[in-house]
Amino acid sequence: MEKINVVIGVIGADVHAVGNRIIDYAFSQAGFNVINLGVMVSQKEFMDAAIETNAKAIIVSSLYGHGELDCRGMGDMLKEAGLEDVLLYIGGNLVVGKSDFSEVEKLFKSMGFNRVYPPGADINQGIEDLKNDLKEKGIYA
Amino acid sequence: MPNFCLFDVGSTYTKGCIVDTDQEIILAQASDFTTSSTDISIGIEKVKQKMFKDITVHIDKTYVCSSAKGGLKMIAIGLVPDLTLKAAQLACYSAGAKVIKSYSFELNQKELDEIENSNCDILLLSGGTDGGNTSSVRHNANQLIKLKSRFPIIYAGNKSCQDEIKTQLEQVGFECILCANVMPSYGILEVDECKNKIRELFLKSIVKAKGLSQLNEVIDEIVLPTPLSVFEALKLLSKGTKNESGIGDLIAIDIGGATTDVYSMNEKLVVNEEFGYKGLQEPLEKRSVEGDLGLRYSASHVYELKTDLHSTEFDAYINEINNNPHLSSNIELDTQLASTCVDIATQRHVGRLETSYTPMGISYYQTGKDCRNVKQCIGIGGPIIYNPNARSILSQCLTKPNQKDILLPIECEFYLDKDYLISCLGLLSKQYPDVVIRILKKKLEKLNHV
Ligand code: B12
Repeated sequence: MEKINVVIGVIGADVHAVGNRIIDYAFSQAGFNVINLGVMVSQKEFMDAAIETNAKAIIVSSLYGHGELDCRGMGDMLKEAGLEDVLLYIGGNLVVGKSDFSEVEKLFKSMGFNRVYPPGADINQGIEDLKNDLKEKGIYA
Repeated sequence: MPNFCLFDVGSTYTKGCIVDTDQEIILAQASDFTTSSTDISIGIEKVKQKMFKDITVHIDKTYVCSSAKGGLKMIAIGLVPDLTLKAAQLACYSAGAKVIKSYSFELNQKELDEIENSNCDILLLSGGTDGGNTSSVRHNANQLIKLKSRFPIIYAGNKSCQDEIKTQLEQVGFECILCANVMPSYGILEVDECKNKIRELFLKSIVKAKGLSQLNEVIDEIVLPTPLSVFEALKLLSKGTKNESGIGDLIAIDIGGATTDVYSMNEKLVVNEEFGYKGLQEPLEKRSVEGDLGLRYSASHVYELKTDLHSTEFDAYINEINNNPHLSSNIELDTQLASTCVDIATQRHVGRLETSYTPMGISYYQTGKDCRNVKQCIGIGGPIIYNPNARSILSQCLTKPNQKDILLPIECEFYLDKDYLISCLGLLSKQYPDVVIRILKKKLEKLNHV
């Protein structure tokens, strides 16, 4: 069976590169084909890459605290592009300061993200969740 | 021993030269004004007469490169405009073709009608990385089979569905040639196989369709589309061979009546490793064609783009050109038009240094090619080589003080292809690469400061 494509990258003007490499490694090990867009990735780059590669999920990271601004409109844009079935996850340090995470989660879910992870979240949790979500969609055996 | 007679046909001037590959010299060179409607062999005959006026030599082989009947006209189809469509266009350009129409995403009826009436020579169908999207190429193949017109189709999209698409297209009578994906994975450009397939098709069917095979009595082979011949000669000159060193990174500009072609040959895509690279990888050897920039058929468009040139005298000149593209010539005003063509065409050809303002300060990343370290610029084609202001026209390819983000050359030596040798010599690039490099090194004319 062909591997499932997932697009990963660090959104906005964010240059934190270390976590991105770990995520690439972890998803590849878990059997996914990773399209890694690296750091400083725009919404359009995520969208274009997902269209061409027929990706089943987009894994966004944001570490530097401007995630809310960078992600605004992203869910809507993907819907417009016909990518409403692509799973959209985000993790990292989503907002500056230690605000209540459930608020943060609500906010990003309202922007179209299917799953939202708190700072320091284990990437393996993300992988498990993705496998389950894909199974639910009948994509992952 | 071997003497070659080489011709470049199909544009306003038919050009020819006789090369002695042993002594590595040009024995004769000539050009002749040809109107596109007349028989190409008449142009060749006239140039031959001029060349053989003063010399008698035995000719071993005669080769021709051609841009006759509008050149090699292609349609490029991709999925995302910045990705597979761009990759498909780059493939067409590097094969010496003219992209007459480009389409992204799924073809609709209007676009299909355009293709039907486009009279294209070859269509390049791409879309999706290998293992990626298949729905767009499937949809587009389903649309193409509704067409009445037939032309060869090169399929260079997602490999996963190439066999079914080939079968489907062949069932309705299209010739379908399979080829490696132009973007096999995200951002990776793969044009070499595609370029070869285009060239094979050009030789096999296009030459015949364009009425060029009648030339077979006068010549031995039509080897290349003219821009590909230029491309191959420039590539050799830049890179060299194991016996003969190249001259390194270069940029070359060919302004015609309707289009401006820019070629760049670089050793590296990213010169400054500090900057990350974004988007589709561009080819180290790149050709771009600006269909809206030229000195005659596109002159009024060039004039519109450059409002600070506007004057009543210039208005009148543009009118004159529109009425008669062949006759009028005002050196002063042509210089300004040509300078504008070089300025805009080179800006579109090279990459950008994009700036991102972060809380930590400014960070940069590169898109497209970095040509700042290119130190040599070559002017090709009648409008530049006959213009006394060639140096100032070509110098428009340099970085402007207020546009440091556009990755144009910072300083250059300027050269002219005074004797129309580049397009002709490209015909020998496979057989006599060392000779081609050495002759070009000798014969390109360096332009000094005035
Ligand atoms: C190294 C570092 C830098 C380096 C980065 C070098 C590089 N090229 O990578 C430099 C010096 C450039 C830098 C700059 C800045 N940094 Co900094 N940086 C750090 C630091 C110390 C380590 C980051 C790191 O590599 N962590 C290790 C990796 C493995 O962890 P990770 O990045 O968090 O990624 C993991 C998880 O987040 C998770 N994950 C990530 N995405 C996703 C997605 C999903 C779906 C899931 C499930 C999980 C997941 O999995 C990853 C792998 O395990 C952190 C503090 C810290 N200890 O985390 C601050 C930190 C991230 N930086 C911070 C800040 C504010 C900045 C600057 C804005 C400020 C400044 N003045 O320096 C600039 C921003 C620059 C920019 N444009 O991005 C803040 C962010 C605050 C916030 N968001 O609330 C932090 C938290 C420090 C702090 N406590 O203030 N930084």
